[in-house]
Amino acid sequence: MLQRFLSPSVLAGISGLELVAKTVVDGFVAGLHRSPDFGFSQEFAEYRAYSEGDDLRHVDWNVFARTERAYLKRYRGETNTLVTVLLDASASMGFSSQSVKKIDYARYLCASIFYLAIHQQRDGAGIIVFDDEIRNFVPPSTRHGQLYRLLHALEGAEPKARTDFAQPFVHFQQFLRRRGVVVVVSDFYEEASKVIRTVEPLRYRGSELLLFHVLDPQEIEPRLDGPALLIDMETGGSLEVSPEYAAREYREKIGAHIAALRDKAKAAGIDYFLLDTSRPLDAALREYLSLRAGRM
Amino acid sequence: MGFLSPWFLAGLAALALPVYIHLLRQHRAQPKPFSSLMFFERRLQSSVRRRRLRYLLLFALRALLVALLALAFANPYIKKPAAAAGAESRLTVIAVDDSFSMRVSGRLEKAKSEAQAVIAGLPPGALAQVVSFGSAVKVLTQPVADRAELEAAVAAIEPSDSRTSYAELARALRALGASAKRPLDVHLISDMQRSGLPASFAELELPEGARMKAHPVAAKRVENWAVESVSAPHRVYDPSKVRVQAVLAGFGTPASRRRASLVVNGRVIESREVEIPASGRAAVEFSRLELPHGWGRAEVRLEPSDALPEDDRYRIAVERLEPRRLLFVEEAGRERAALYFKTALEAASGAAFGIDTASPGQLGNVALGRYAAVVLSDAGSLPEGFVKELREYVRSGGGLLIAAATAAAARAALPVAEGRVTAVRYASREAERFLSAGAVDTAHPVLARVNRLEGVKFFQTAVLEMKGGRVLARLADQSPLLVEQTLGAGRILVFASALDNISNDFPLRASFVPFVEQAANYLAGLSEAPSAYVVDTFYELRGTSDPVSTMEVFDPERRRVLSLAESAKARNIQLASQGFYEIRRANGRVDLAAVNADRRESDLDPLPADAVSLWQNTGQGAVSGGAQAGSVRWSLWWYVMLGVALASLAESVVSARYLGKEKLS
Repeated sequence: MLQRFLSPSVLAGISGLELVAKTVVDGFVAGLHRSPDFGFSQEFAEYRAYSEGDDLRHVDWNVFARTERAYLKRYRGETNTLVTVLLDASASMGFSSQSVKKIDYARYLCASIFYLAIHQQRDGAGIIVFDDEIRNFVPPSTRHGQLYRLLHALEGAEPKARTDFAQPFVHFQQFLRRRGVVVVVSDFYEEASKVIRTVEPLRYRGSELLLFHVLDPQEIEPRLDGPALLIDMETGGSLEVSPEYAAREYREKIGAHIAALRDKAKAAGIDYFLLDTSRPLDAALREYLSLRAGRM
Repeated sequence: MGFLSPWFLAGLAALALPVYIHLLRQHRAQPKPFSSLMFFERRLQSSVRRRRLRYLLLFALRALLVALLALAFANPYIKKPAAAAGAESRLTVIAVDDSFSMRVSGRLEKAKSEAQAVIAGLPPGALAQVVSFGSAVKVLTQPVADRAELEAAVAAIEPSDSRTSYAELARALRALGASAKRPLDVHLISDMQRSGLPASFAELELPEGARMKAHPVAAKRVENWAVESVSAPHRVYDPSKVRVQAVLAGFGTPASRRRASLVVNGRVIESREVEIPASGRAAVEFSRLELPHGWGRAEVRLEPSDALPEDDRYRIAVERLEPRRLLFVEEAGRERAALYFKTALEAASGAAFGIDTASPGQLGNVALGRYAAVVLSDAGSLPEGFVKELREYVRSGGGLLIAAATAAAARAALPVAEGRVTAVRYASREAERFLSAGAVDTAHPVLARVNRLEGVKFFQTAVLEMKGGRVLARLADQSPLLVEQTLGAGRILVFASALDNISNDFPLRASFVPFVEQAANYLAGLSEAPSAYVVDTFYELRGTSDPVSTMEVFDPERRRVLSLAESAKARNIQLASQGFYEIRRANGRVDLAAVNADRRESDLDPLPADAVSLWQNTGQGAVSGGAQAGSVRWSLWWYVMLGVALASLAESVVSARYLGKEKLS
């Protein structure tokens, strides 16, 4: 029943990314079975003797009062990770053949991840919005109000033109100094090998990399009634396309591209997940959580 | 295959319309934004070749319809080689010249024997037709294969007095070719007179595919003298004052001395020896024209005779009349107007009119019947009985000229005429010093030679208020100056001024003489007719307003020209032969018309050979020769139009079917 609320077309009717994320995540979490493999943070782990240089905020003052020894209280929460989402806001993400644009779908996804990470898992979360260059950067943090900063960044992520996918990635290294989970949300309109070659360096610091390949159903299986003049949303170029070509050659080519991305990502140790914007978000969240669980 | 109007083939460009409708318009790709085109390949997409024509059958029908329409306007034809079928497919036309010049001794006989030879040489079963031509073409037979009929038609050809017109022959041949729908073989048997050529050589164009063979019956130029023209009055009142002038011409002649005689009713009146220069002209004048009263048949005769004696005589018809009487009425003691009028009349018409003057008081015993016309020169009060008698006189066909000035203004109304003088204007008393004539109807016989009354100054004019009638002249202020009215069969002219030199200076002007002469002739019913006519001109028997009456016309051979029905209705006759025509009217009057052959026929100079050759080449068959000779155009227009009708019908059916489908879908 709740699955219905995860449908993208339903989510498009909800104003406010926070509410969307809450609807998605709460609906998603309520449907999960309890699992012993993971528990949420704030669970006590151990005490450790204070040593010089430790942060006094972590000293358990109750123990000190009783024992007059300074111990630091350590939680499992300290093993929480940093989630950084790289959101592609290029012009091609503005495409839609239905009620939800790819960029909106990506926003819902990101908002859900942030909500899940911050409210449910106490992870630090950050975002980099990019097209040809880095348009917005919110560093990963667990500070109060981070979710709203992230949602604000998502709100401002409007699709703009882009000609080169690889160009902004060379700058990402300087922002991703700590290891964590890096989620790339894009439509990956670039050669598969180049995509993998571009994103692979993000793993060098030990981060886990997850590629969410967001595509519209029309991009996967286009259906044309007659010859159409297609205009490239990024370059502005135009091309007349016959329905026969769209039905045969194009589908083969996009299928080969997806398969190449999946294979090359797997070979590079990168998680890859294809998202159809007509499908609910739960599959994507499940993929994220499984990756997150592996990090714990 | 060819096209009569090939420029209409440009309409084939309209084929772009169905192509646009079916190919471009139907398949114009709608622009759609797409995320990326990296998986589309240009070489396979952007090409009209990839576009498919929808409704191929409908497109084909529409394209066919447009193409057929363009073809129909271009009027296509094919050439059918008519000559291939042999002589049966051609029509032989034997054209024999019977013009006046063929009267030269032996020419017509030679022409007829040539025609008989042509008929004898016709292949069996060949169609032939005999025509004779002068100024008009007479078709003597239908296209027949019967040689006896053709030979009889040739034998029946008689010489005429008309002039040669090759243009008329060519026009008739074109008509024959069009009606026979087959190419012509024309045998032209003529003396090939140069003077028969039209002004424009284009008028000689033979019908398409026609071949012409000339059979000249006069090999060389023949010397010929002729009386070219005679100038003499049609009516004579005093024979002692008449001069007859004649022009004598020589065509291809050496300088010679000839005798010219004036003959009246068969009697030689006067003869003169005339030196005629080589191929030149000389004038001769006869000072006497002794005529008995009535019509005289006169002629100027040239002797000795030559090869064409018929043009050595030039006939003129002259009528000797007693001078007509005019009654000139004016106030006693004011004889100035009568003096000017009489002097002008005597100066102009050679004693055609004698004038009796009378004052209003002397009119009691005047018998109006003996006068050709009456002039009321600003007469004041007239006896009541005279006015009544004058009205009857006009109604029965008499003429009346009223000069209205000061005296007429005193009367309540003009006598006889419908109108009155409302006032008399004295220009010198007013701002203008004088008035001049404005609009003048120079087409009217009375005003034909008055030079628009230029320079005439009118000092006193009557302001006329006429009921009906036609204004022939106006003053510069648009008030009527000369008005014509009719009463019964008679004519009334009202002149808004006096005929003396006080009210105006008209009598002192040169235009006064022709005005008086023409007014007198017009009112007396004397028309100006020529003393001689040329053959083939038309003679007017009656005007449109003349009462219906029968008349008889006799030609020079004393044969009746008009049938019974024509004698009551015919308005004119064509004078077909030279001689004297006699016209007898119902009222007993007899007119005589002298008719002479056109003197262009007297020049017997033949056409040069190259001109004949050029004429022969105007038929396409003669030009091309060989295989194309005698090809005829066969128009395909009807077939194309049939195709247009069928294509439009099919297009309607097919498009209705497709449209039905589209609506359902």
